Amino acid sequence: MKKAILAFLLLTVNVMAADVTGRWSGQFKVDGGEHDVPQLLILKQVKNQLTGSGGPNETEQYPIENGNIDGNRLQFEITTGEWKFTYDLKVDGSTMKGHLELKSINDRRSASVSLTKAQ
Amino acid sequence: MVIQGITGSILAFEPELDRVSHPHLAYVKPGTRVLSLNEIRTAVSRQFGGEPIVAFEPSLSPRLSSQLLLPSGIAYVNQYTGEVLGVRVRGQSFLGYVRALHVRLGVGALGRNILRWSAVAALLSSVSGFYLWWPMKRISVLFTAGPKRFWFDLHNVIGICSLLPLTLLAGSGVVLGFEDQAAWLIHRVTHSTAKPSSFSERKPIAGASMIDADEAVAIAQSLMPGTLPYRVQMPEYGGLYRIGLVNPRDRITGSRNSVALDPSNGAVVSVNRTADLSISDWILAANETVHTGSVMGLPTRVLASFFSMIVFVQALSGAFLWLHRKKILQPAAHSVLQVRSK
Repeated sequence: MKKAILAFLLLTVNVMAADVTGRWSGQFKVDGGEHDVPQLLILKQVKNQLTGSGGPNETEQYPIENGNIDGNRLQFEITTGEWKFTYDLKVDGSTMKGHLELKSINDRRSASVSLTKAQ
Repeated sequence: MVIQGITGSILAFEPELDRVSHPHLAYVKPGTRVLSLNEIRTAVSRQFGGEPIVAFEPSLSPRLSSQLLLPSGIAYVNQYTGEVLGVRVRGQSFLGYVRALHVRLGVGALGRNILRWSAVAALLSSVSGFYLWWPMKRISVLFTAGPKRFWFDLHNVIGICSLLPLTLLAGSGVVLGFEDQAAWLIHRVTHSTAKPSSFSERKPIAGASMIDADEAVAIAQSLMPGTLPYRVQMPEYGGLYRIGLVNPRDRITGSRNSVALDPSNGAVVSVNRTADLSISDWILAANETVHTGSVMGLPTRVLASFFSMIVFVQALSGAFLWLHRKKILQPAAHSVLQVRSK
């Protein structure tokens, strides 16, 4: 029992201490869409504040807005022009998965996101 | 098919309907001088507490306002005075829902698959309808022989009169629905490849600071004379100035010109011209303009809207004929035999 509690505490501390600073690459797929869209996030975490940039590749990056981290949950926005991307992700070690909402002036779509941390 | 017809009829006028639903944002009284992008930026920044501008969408018509894309929404600006007419926040609207219905039945992959196959069914219906029409070649409606005969005649007459436009709408819809497969097929048939983006490095200007949006547009237009800027993406969002240019004389691929510039010195990073499109890309672009009706401007958009609504009428009369198929088919079959025996 003591070992289980200790393992739980260690795991909790590990999650709370998760630092997402770095490069995360992967893709998202819009519900009903046919193609994966590449993603590269370059994140910087300071306490529970998240800054950095994101986009389809290294040369096309958009600033992260309203970024924050709560435990292993990340929430932030990226505006690319007509579209605003609102991310709600959960980090688990070197992977990050979650939901993305895309809004334009007339439309709203959702997508699933999957990212891994670059070594 | 009914949903596609009704929603397609609405979407043919999507820009106009969007403007009519927000007239105070969309329309301006033409002035004597259009402000530069920098002047507009300064005026808007004052009113939005320095909120960064993601992109400009300059007006292409003297009576329509310009738009500025901001993180918080889309600001509509009078390009003659710098006055902000209002801001729309991003989110689902009625027209967006109509589009979602037309493209994916308002749901995801399942709706998209249903619609793409219903486009195939619509195309087959055009062919089978012509086959069924051919023996009797009915081109008039008999109003005095009761409702069944009326609907039978109406379905025949409307069907033959709208055969060509409905086949074009259905056929172009099939290509859009199966665009990946169509692109692969067209590419195989035409053996076409797009010319790579042309690059021409410019020497950095000694001591130069960041170029501004107006300078970026001037450089882009100098590379493509006769075009107008319809979108200017700011380098803070994406790293480069990305200028979309439209050629008003080219209704099919005219908006596919773009120039990317290094903001630090104005060096041209890439140029994409419509002339560089592959044959398969051009065919797919042409297919889209046929489907939306924009291929020849307003007249063809009116036709596309009208014939999209005809799909609804044909589906209605077709359903009536199917429900009463025995009573109608018997005399019809008899008539066919009479025609063939002559």
